[in-house]
Amino acid sequence: MRPVLVIAAKDLKQRLRDRSAIVLALLAPLAVAALMSAAFGGAENVHATLAVANEDHGAVATGLLAALHAPELGRLVTVDEVRSASAATQAVRSGSADAGIVIPAGFSASVLTASPEALSTVTSVNDTVAAELASSVTQAFTARLNGDRLAVATALAAGAPASHLQALARDASGLELPVDVVQRALGARQLSTISYFAPAMAIFFVLFVVSFTSRSFFVEREQGMIERALAAPISARHVVAGKALSAFVLAATSLAVIGVVTGTAFGADWGDPLGAILVSLAMVLSVVALTALVIGVARTERQAETVSSIVVFCLALLGGNFVLVSVAPPLLRRLALFTPNGWALRGYTDLATTGGGVGTVVVPVLAILAFAAVVGVAGLLLARRAVRP
Amino acid sequence: MSALRIAGLSLRRLARDRAALFFMVALPVLVITVVGLTVRSFSTFPVGVVNGRSSAAAVELTAVLERWPSLEVHEYATSSAASTAVRRSEIAAAVVIPSSFGREIAASGPVEIEVVAERANSTQQAAATAVQAAVSQFSARVAAARFTTAQLGGDFAANLALATGLQGSVPQVRSTTVVADDSQQTLPAGFSYSAPTMLVLFVFINAVAGGATIISTRRLGMYERILAAPVGAGSVVLGEMLAAFAAALAQAALIVLVGAAAFGVSWGDPLAATLLVLVWSLVGAGAGVLAGTLFRTPQQAGALGPTIGIAFGMLGGCMWPLSIVSHAMRTVGHLTPQAWAVDAWTTLLARHGTLPDVTTKLGVLAAFAAGFLLLAAARFRRSLA
Amino acid sequence: MIRLAAPVRDPAVAGPLLRCEGLTRRFGDRVAVEGVSLSLPAGEVYGLLGPNGAGKTTTIKMVCGLTAPDRGTVHVAGEPATSARARRLVGYVPQDVALYPDLTARENLRFLGSLYGLSGGVLRERVAEALELTDLTDRARERVGSYSGGMKRRLNMAAGLLHHPRLLVLDEPTVGVDPQSRFAILERVRTFAGQGMAVLYTTHYMEEADRICDRVGIIDHGHLVAEGTRRELVAKLGEKDRIELGALGDLERLAELSRQVPGVEGAGVADHCVHLVATSGRELLPALLEAADRAEVDITSVDVVEPDLEAVFLHLTGTALRE
Repeated sequence: MRPVLVIAAKDLKQRLRDRSAIVLALLAPLAVAALMSAAFGGAENVHATLAVANEDHGAVATGLLAALHAPELGRLVTVDEVRSASAATQAVRSGSADAGIVIPAGFSASVLTASPEALSTVTSVNDTVAAELASSVTQAFTARLNGDRLAVATALAAGAPASHLQALARDASGLELPVDVVQRALGARQLSTISYFAPAMAIFFVLFVVSFTSRSFFVEREQGMIERALAAPISARHVVAGKALSAFVLAATSLAVIGVVTGTAFGADWGDPLGAILVSLAMVLSVVALTALVIGVARTERQAETVSSIVVFCLALLGGNFVLVSVAPPLLRRLALFTPNGWALRGYTDLATTGGGVGTVVVPVLAILAFAAVVGVAGLLLARRAVRP
Repeated sequence: MSALRIAGLSLRRLARDRAALFFMVALPVLVITVVGLTVRSFSTFPVGVVNGRSSAAAVELTAVLERWPSLEVHEYATSSAASTAVRRSEIAAAVVIPSSFGREIAASGPVEIEVVAERANSTQQAAATAVQAAVSQFSARVAAARFTTAQLGGDFAANLALATGLQGSVPQVRSTTVVADDSQQTLPAGFSYSAPTMLVLFVFINAVAGGATIISTRRLGMYERILAAPVGAGSVVLGEMLAAFAAALAQAALIVLVGAAAFGVSWGDPLAATLLVLVWSLVGAGAGVLAGTLFRTPQQAGALGPTIGIAFGMLGGCMWPLSIVSHAMRTVGHLTPQAWAVDAWTTLLARHGTLPDVTTKLGVLAAFAAGFLLLAAARFRRSLA
Repeated sequence: MIRLAAPVRDPAVAGPLLRCEGLTRRFGDRVAVEGVSLSLPAGEVYGLLGPNGAGKTTTIKMVCGLTAPDRGTVHVAGEPATSARARRLVGYVPQDVALYPDLTARENLRFLGSLYGLSGGVLRERVAEALELTDLTDRARERVGSYSGGMKRRLNMAAGLLHHPRLLVLDEPTVGVDPQSRFAILERVRTFAGQGMAVLYTTHYMEEADRICDRVGIIDHGHLVAEGTRRELVAKLGEKDRIELGALGDLERLAELSRQVPGVEGAGVADHCVHLVATSGRELLPALLEAADRAEVDITSVDVVEPDLEAVFLHLTGTALRE
């Protein structure tokens, strides 16, 4: 046991001396998280300002305005009443409104006639959410208006005599639309951008431990130090275990520091601490396993650098460390679950959105451990052979 | 002349460096693919539908949702699976159609459709609002069918079919859209988003990381050796700058080609795009050689280069459009050359600009390039003396 | 001068400290070492003499437990060389300096000492002792990467001695070393032996073997072709002389022609000279000068040397020791 600790301690000392390791394991992820926090830390919820030009002032227009002031839209939409259509257009163009709605003069009066006036939604290509909100609210409203007319037309088409038109119209007026939407909240917490990307960036940079540690092995071999160590009364197992332990400590420390700093200073929500720790530990074990694999597979320091770069970037790309994986196409989402980091991000996301505890992350942790086990066994066997051929 | 020979040697060494090739060729293409596939659309919302096929009526309602321009429908087997998808932001809202939907609409009471969406989340609320609008359209048909059945009797389903057929043609209040501001401030979605931003990002990062080669050449004592020959320091500096420029340009050209051929990216006005690529390659070359004179060890360059490149990329709008950040962040971002380059690409790709539209931005980039190159040349010469 | 605490000779260990029997090691098709047997008691300096590629380093590695022999056995104090117990008794000083350039001298020594099971106060003492003996105490906190070549070599050797080994194995310790340092190293080796350490020492420098080795084993192409004290080996030559012909021109041709001169037993080219072993060398000089004429070679010096290990080597292998 002692040789393992001695070797790991020596390794860590060397990593600390190597400033580039500190940069990539600590400074870079914190800097990136800080930048993201600054960029997204502001109000994450977009508020749409709608410029509404009521050129009609009739009863129906009032009804539409009431719909725009509906409670469920309250936090999302601010209605800014303007004088005219051109004012609304100007507002959207200048950016003082995100979208606009124009109720033309004569709208209310024309609603029941054969050629009713159209409402118009004024949009900007740069804010499609606001445009969508405005458009949907008006369309929902007009569906109600149009319901009566459709009912009468259908009855006539079904065979009602034309003479009954008046009676039908009377019966149909004020028809309620029977199918309605009941909105239910999930009761889940919102996943803020920083809460997704703080763990994502932390894991991405932690993967570089694979590169540092594996490269250092080949450097030491070149320096004759592996041989010198093996001349001592220790075995190849000790060398491999020592390197594994140093990788573990480095990765765990990096994740811990980034987790604490982003959680306290940048407002990232990593979820239940115990759950997050478990996911992180499992991820760290994967890093150790990958390190062993690279040591076993590469032959020189250059090769180790190349192989670990490829592994790190491919895993990060697939696992969703660079993009919000949830909005990726289903194929990419499934591929992410072939990576340990993909499962880790899912674990952190689930912790943050459900507010749950350890039970929430049982599946991700097991998946990551399975990866670590498979890669680790192969890696340790190959690494042992690399140490003493 | 000797500068060309020095440049040639540096490039040959670069071509043999497999790790560098990965970072310069394979990685950008991979990132462009993944990011391009993910940033698909800013204007449609994916929604999940549960029990979408449980009855003929459900099928019809699902069809209405599918045809709704701003909605993208995915089917889910259970409400809990759909809810989990909402929680994970895989879909913006979940629409749970009751399994007895067919019977309920033919009867006389109100029919409720549950939509799972968080009010506080703007995307989810916008999706829910779109669903509400689509459901209202379907609901109008149901109302008409019920009315007709109540008035005349007959088969509800047949009346519903009638109402559906008539909905498009009956005179009704419509809602039209007027685009007041069509000056797109952000790059189009998909690969036309990822290709230009990743070009800006990677050319810069790889150029700065390439400064490591200059550092290791210096540490090996090779410059001393070269200068012992009848070669002037100026040739060495020029040679390395040519090499850095060639490498940056090759990488940019590769991304442009792959983007156009494999991803269908249209890079905009050819003249303007070419100039932008050339100027950006100069910026990269300058930054790269400057890095070669600033850092002490190749490892430092290898670690700090990408870090600075990513930081600048973030500030400059390579990772997310600057239009979504605060004004202050946007201003700070424009201290980086990346912001100006992304702005130029946005002008070319999103607003179909031509050379006159990007002159200012090209000018700023040229100034950055000149600044980097001059500073790098001065430092490099001093280190060789 | 280094004074180490004298290791106590363990009376329980009967027989030689190092015993190699029939060591054979192949690398693919190439036979690096075959059938090498040697033994070494405490207090003796044994020199393994042979040209580059002869199998010296491979033999060393088997003694240090770094490689296992394909056939044969090697025991240190009765334990197999690959065992931890044996390795605890062996101090290995590799030919190329093996130290961490990014760690200080103290850190390097502490690390290596710990691997040998030293800890606490003992480790601290040994490290201090090693730093003092190598004159590096003042620079102990500097990174080894900043040391001069000589300092690194001294530290390299000290690192192999921290645990006070019974058997010190030195692989070509004087290659590329300046004459004064070489002298110092050799003196140290003799001192260790005087204190009861067994020393196994490989070299291709005959003078060194001559000077400090109690016994010499001559190894060539993986075989131990002769073994014994210097006197015994030279005696095998009998009346043979070693002649050194300094010359300019096609030396190989001269060596070839020389071999044809009756009485010449072996000729090899090394150091721009043709070395010969011959019976009654002086009498052959005219014939040799004639051979030089025929080879169109200009003789610049003639040296007739008393039989030495170089001659022994030439005689046994037909080639020169040095290249």
